[in-house]
This record gives sequence, C-alpha cells and structure tokens, in this order.
Amino acid sequence: MEKQYDPPNIDFPYFLFFTGKGGVGKTSTACATAVSLADRGKRVLLISTDPASNLQDVFGEDFNHEYRHLKAVPRLAVVNIDPEEAAERHRESALAPYRNKLPASVIRSMEEQMAGACTTEIAAFDSFTSFLCDSEVKDKFDHILFDTAPTGHTLRLLQLPKAWSGFIDTNPEGASCLGPLSALAGKKEMYEQAVNTLADGGQTLLALVSRPDETALFEADRSSKELAALDVKNQILIINGLFEITDSEDDTAQAFMDQQQESLTTISDHLKSFTTFQLPFAPLSLTGVGELRSWLAGKHGREAVHTHEVAAEGFEMDDVIGDLSEKGNGLVFTMGKGGVGKTTVAASVALNLVEQGYSVHLTTTDPAEHLSRLFTENHSDLLRVTNIDPKRETEAYRESVLEETSHELNEDELNYLKEDLDSPCTEEIAVFRSFADVVMHSEEDYIVIDTAPTGHTLLLLDSTLSYHREIERSAGHVPESVKNLLPALKDAEKTHILIVTLPEATPVYEAERLESDLKRADLHPKWWIMNQSLSVVPVSDPVLKAKAQVENKWVQRTVTHASKVAIIPWKKQAILNKKQR
Amino acid sequence: MKKIEIYDPAMCCSTGVCGPSVDPKLTKISRQLSILESKGIHVERFNLSTETQAFVENELVSGYLQKEAELALPIAIVDGEVKKTKAYPTTEELAEWLEIEERFLTESKPVKSDSRFTILD
Repeated sequence: MEKQYDPPNIDFPYFLFFTGKGGVGKTSTACATAVSLADRGKRVLLISTDPASNLQDVFGEDFNHEYRHLKAVPRLAVVNIDPEEAAERHRESALAPYRNKLPASVIRSMEEQMAGACTTEIAAFDSFTSFLCDSEVKDKFDHILFDTAPTGHTLRLLQLPKAWSGFIDTNPEGASCLGPLSALAGKKEMYEQAVNTLADGGQTLLALVSRPDETALFEADRSSKELAALDVKNQILIINGLFEITDSEDDTAQAFMDQQQESLTTISDHLKSFTTFQLPFAPLSLTGVGELRSWLAGKHGREAVHTHEVAAEGFEMDDVIGDLSEKGNGLVFTMGKGGVGKTTVAASVALNLVEQGYSVHLTTTDPAEHLSRLFTENHSDLLRVTNIDPKRETEAYRESVLEETSHELNEDELNYLKEDLDSPCTEEIAVFRSFADVVMHSEEDYIVIDTAPTGHTLLLLDSTLSYHREIERSAGHVPESVKNLLPALKDAEKTHILIVTLPEATPVYEAERLESDLKRADLHPKWWIMNQSLSVVPVSDPVLKAKAQVENKWVQRTVTHASKVAIIPWKKQAILNKKQR
Repeated sequence: MKKIEIYDPAMCCSTGVCGPSVDPKLTKISRQLSILESKGIHVERFNLSTETQAFVENELVSGYLQKEAELALPIAIVDGEVKKTKAYPTTEELAEWLEIEERFLTESKPVKSDSRFTILD
C-alpha cells in the first residue's frame, strides 16, 4: 500500500534525482520536496537540466545556470541548466577566438559540426557533472535535488558518464568520437566520480515519478530497470495525481477514477519492489511556494473554481482528417512529448484514413513500442503497422557498414572502424536511416509516423539537417532515402506535422518550445491537437470541474496562438493486458 | 625521423562514422597513420572543429584556408612541406613520401588484444 509522500519523514541521502515522463509532475514533485526540506531547516539546492524546464512557472522567478536563492524560501537555491544554452556557450567559447582569424566559411563549417546533438549532450552533461563533484557546493547544502530531463534524455544523460569513462579507458589512442569532447577529456576523474556517486545508494536516491497512467508507469518501469542496470539501485516510486471521486453521480468522474485504478494494476512487479508514495490530484496548476506546501499537505484543489468563462472553440478530429485527406497522399507526423497520447492520435489518424479507403503505413520510433497493441483487433488490408526498434536498427546498421566497407579495408582497418561504430552516435544514425528507409519504401497513400518523445525527435531532425548539409561534400555512400527525406520534410504539400499535447501547463509549454524548434529547422506544424480534454466533456464533480476550467485556459491559449487547433474529448482508454507486453 | 601532419576538415570523429555514411577513405587514413606511428614516423593529426589553434598557427595551412577556405582541407604536410590538399594521401603517396614499404601500410596484423569486437568478426 502506498504511503502519503511527506519528504521530512523520508530518510533522503545527499543527492536526489527525479525522473519520469514529461507531464507526470516531476518538477512539481521536486519543487515541493525542495520547499518541504527547506521548511524543516535543510539547506537545499534544486537543479533542473530539463530542456523544457518550467521552474520559472512554478516559482514565478527566473533562474539561470548559476544558483540563486529564492526570495520566498531563502534556504532553497535554484539552478536552471538549459542544455541548448549550455551548448551554445560551449560553441561560442570554442569559436570566438577564431572569428577574425579564419574565413567566414571555415567558421561556418565548424559551426555545422558543433551544432550536432553530441555537443548539446556534452554541454548538459558537463554542467550536470560539475554539481555532482563540486565539494565547495556540497559544503553549502544539505541536499542537492535534480529535476532531470524527460526519460529518454535523462537516461542518455545518466548513461553517458559510464559510457564515456569506459570509452576513455579503451581508447588510449584518443581517436574517435571524443571529438567534440576533447576539451573535456581532461576531466576523466570527474566523470568517474560522477558514475560512482550515482551508483552509491548511500549518497544517491532516484525518485521515479509517475501518474496513475499506464504509459507513464510503463516508462517508469523501463527507466528504473535501465538505471538499475547502471547500478543506480536506490529507488523509490511516487504516484502523483491520485483522484478521489466526490460526486458519485458523475459518470466521467467515475470513469476517470476507474481509469486511474485500472492503470495502477499494471504496476510491474519490479516497481512494486520499491517503497511507493502517493501524491493527491491537483487540478489547479501549482504555482507559488504556498500552493506547493498545501499540495503536500493534501489540501490542494478541493474547491471548484467558480468562473463563467466561455469555452474555447476548436476543431474536431474529423476536420483534421478532412484536411489531411484532401490531397490523397502524404507524410503525417504526430509529434509531442511522451505521455500526451500521440501514439493514440497517430493510430486514430491512420484508422480514419483507412476508413476513407486510403492505404496507410503507420510506423513509430517510440522506444516504448506502444503501437502494435492498438491494432490487435483493427485489421485491414489497407493498414500496415511497423516499428523501428533503435537497438535492432543499430545492430543492422553496424553490420551493413562493415559489409559495405569490408572489401576496401584490411582487417586492421576494419577493427578500427568497428571501434568507432561502438560510439553513442551510431544509434542516432541508424535510427535516422531506417526512418528514411521506411518513408522511401512505403507505397501506401499515407505514411503516418508516430515519433519518439520530443528530445529524441529533435535530435533526429537535427541529425537530418546536419546530414543534409554534409551530404554534398561527403565521399561516402549516402542512401537515396536519406537524400530524399529532408526536402520532403520541409514540403508542406507532402508533409503534415501534427503537434499533440494535453491541455495542461507543462505539456502546452513543451509543445510551444517544440514548435519553435521545428520552425527553426524550417518545419511548420499544420495542426495542434489538444488531446484528452475534459473541457469539452460534461462533468459535475467539483475537482474535475476545476480541472476542466483550468484546461480551458490552456486550450484558449493555444487557439489564440495557432489557427488550426483540434480538441479531442477526454475518453477512458483501454488498459492493455499485462501479458501483451 | 620523418614527420607527417594531417589537417582534417571539421568533423565529429576521425573515421567519419558520425557523418551521414561511413567514408572508407577516412577509415583507411586513420588506420594507416596509426601504422606509420608504430613504425617510428612522427604523426600529427588535427581536426578543424576541435584543434582550431593548430590551423591558425601553421602558416602554410592558414595560408591555404585564407585562399581556398575549408575546401582546401584535408591538407597533408611532410617535414614542413605541403604534399597534398583537398584529399587524403593514397597508400602509394604515403609510402613514397615517408620512404616506407607499401606492404607495411596494407598488411594486416592485430592492433589490439581487446576482444570486444570479436563477435562481429
């Protein structure tokens, strides 16, 4: 049975990491924990490395990469590390000394190389590690809390210390993918210390934050196991947002509660082995220190909001389908953070297009492989469903590269190549290529692509762009599929990007950031899909009513921001039988 | 002792694995430089994106960059003399410049005892 989450009564070690899918309330939980510990006299440092951080939304103050004490809670200091910004600083400090010494086109060729995903990861990792190992900072605080990035990103971040210190060990020649890292190569000892600290249960606790929601719990299980495999074994589970019905007449409220309870039955045995805590449902977005305190005390959002707002008006999914089907063919991307239901939206788009008589190929790079289960009963000759498994693709890519080059290289050269193929970049390239391959080899009218969570998606797109720029002067063999994909992505006639989000604070902010990132890459989202909205469902339960009204604000914000917004009403989702996993 | 310097274009890693596809020429030169080093040749290699200072400090290289920009790269310099620009040296060229038998650069021998990669063999 879960215990109420009450930080001062938990024996926390020095370092605390919060992890979980985007929108599960990681930031709120980390912030509430920090405030709660500070209230009990502890000196607390809270560090966010989330690229979509909303610390400023929670505390109403702006933070940057240097720690600053909160006005409202002086014992609490906050640092906000934006990996993109950190990478930019890293790039600028590397390039600045040469701007006047080298021709502009030379500088540009360097910028291109340093715009890669590696640089961002490295820069974020570097700022992250420095807090894990800085003894001066340690003396000033009793606890350091990390409100880490969404799962996929977090894992990379946390896996990197191990991968890289292993890498430095096995690469005495100093060759290879340490390229952008070379400036940091002198910090080997610091990486090792970071790895050891993470794996030391006496120093580090990992809090897995989840909603009572099946995909979030599935994701928590996955992160938990992956981190445990990296020896981060001291973990707890926090179930955030448990709803208790107050109006038994309200069918939606009943369904809402049932959905949560059914979802909770899917908690894996692995997760059950950890101490589990619970936090109550907070319909109103948590802003300000006072709200964080009353939330932990279980007093938040019990009363309905009495306003008479006009419900925001948007389109329906039928309008989206009508728009997409106008041309009779195309590429459709559903993009958004994990947990916003983009897989379900992708599936629904695919099924609707199939119903209109079009042939559809639906594919996903989502590591959670959520797709196959949605189609166990919906079988049609017009629909093909495939999944890109990053691990399998990497292996296949590795083999194909070796085969392609083996006739030109001798054994030593091949060994050298194999060593570089062991680098972290390989997976991204492999996934990208198979993704391009799917697009090229699909003869269906529509290809619907359910992309991985945002961080991942951006890395993928970023790679697309830098590959494209490099293609012209690369002597290696570039597959046609890769050459064809980028112009297709930018062609609004061929490609439709649907941004999927939930009508809640974090998901909307994240989606807006995603959109601006896409625009920078010259990709222009066509539709916004506000998924699972209570604001268009009749509810009488006061707590859900409050939630519906808050949601309405976020729908309104989006409608003002984008011209094409479709709202999908909240609906109870089928829970997958555990055995199907 | 002979000395060879290679000035690479901006790139992520020396075998080109991180690019859109693997360029076998990059893999080959990486390996051959490593053989040359084991034969007592002084080998230095610089990547524009990470060792920029070397490109600015070397007057020959800097001169090429001013004239032809990044298109001049890669540049091969042997004992202070620019031998080749715009492309990596071939096995024959390396052998000739460095007065070493070609077979040393093409023969196969175990580089490392590391067994990590044997599954792929």
